[in-house]
Amino acid sequence: MPPDDKWRRRGSGPVVRPYAVTGGRTAPADGEVLDLIAVVVATGRSPAADDPVRLNPEHRRLLGLCDQQITVADLAADTALPLGVVRVLLADLTQLGAITVVRQRPANQRTGNDVLQEILNGLRAL
Amino acid sequence: MASAPSDSAPSNRGPVPVAAFTAHKILVAGGFGSGKTTLVGAISEVRPLRTEETLTTASVGLDDLSGVDGKTTTTVALDFGRITLTPRIVLYLFGMPGQERFSFMWDELAYGALGAVILADVRRLGDCFASVNYFEKQRLPFIIAINCFDDAPSYDPEEVRQALDIDQGVPVVLCDARDLASVKQVLISLVEAISVSRSRAMTPGR
Repeated sequence: MPPDDKWRRRGSGPVVRPYAVTGGRTAPADGEVLDLIAVVVATGRSPAADDPVRLNPEHRRLLGLCDQQITVADLAADTALPLGVVRVLLADLTQLGAITVVRQRPANQRTGNDVLQEILNGLRAL
Repeated sequence: MASAPSDSAPSNRGPVPVAAFTAHKILVAGGFGSGKTTLVGAISEVRPLRTEETLTTASVGLDDLSGVDGKTTTTVALDFGRITLTPRIVLYLFGMPGQERFSFMWDELAYGALGAVILADVRRLGDCFASVNYFEKQRLPFIIAINCFDDAPSYDPEEVRQALDIDQGVPVVLCDARDLASVKQVLISLVEAISVSRSRAMTPGR
């Protein structure tokens, strides 16, 4: 399936420009740094009218892609925004309660052997 | 369904949703031109992921972003692929740039990964050393896949094993990164090796 062109930034130029959408912030204000395959989803809650963090077009674009559970990597690829920018914007959306991280398993726990077997079966069936 | 309690989830935002699928990460490492993009592309759509070395906040002013020049940043475009194995299991393959100057992102890429395929180009075996050392140090399971190009002489996997000083327990396999069946087998070999290494770890004294 070819990438959806409307998401591509044309002539995006040097990397510094995407940070304009984060107001110059290069890292989330607090909380953990989201892993590449962390999964997020929209909560369906709109931000409060008096919330200091406003949604810019890139926030809204990301939010629009979170109707279904989706990984951080897929969001970055879909929007063609750099990973760092995506993380800052997702942190904003999390802070607002507009999205939430879907917990898969505690980060220090390895994938279970039963899931490994399912992965093996799935690969063999490809 | 009941929500899953988690002390690191936002506490006042309502129940944490149940995961619709689980995502798993496999790394594809190897030197420049070793065939990482080709391998990922053989088994999935290749999507570009833009990432960059973190700018220090001191160098990014709110008023004048044009003051930051290219010398303070490194833009890297990574490849990744996605394979939906079942409706609930999705495998992500991330191309890991092998050059030392990108080592700042290796930890981030490797975090939580199941294991790695290190693609070896027999014409430039030295390009693998950094990746081999890294995964050994991280104790992340890996296999070596010797990418067979049309014009490269065929190599005995054992010769490559010795040249790279790889442990006997680590699979060294042949691979054609362009071929779906071959790439499938490489991934299967890796996941099998991960299973084996776990069962070995659980039986002390072997």
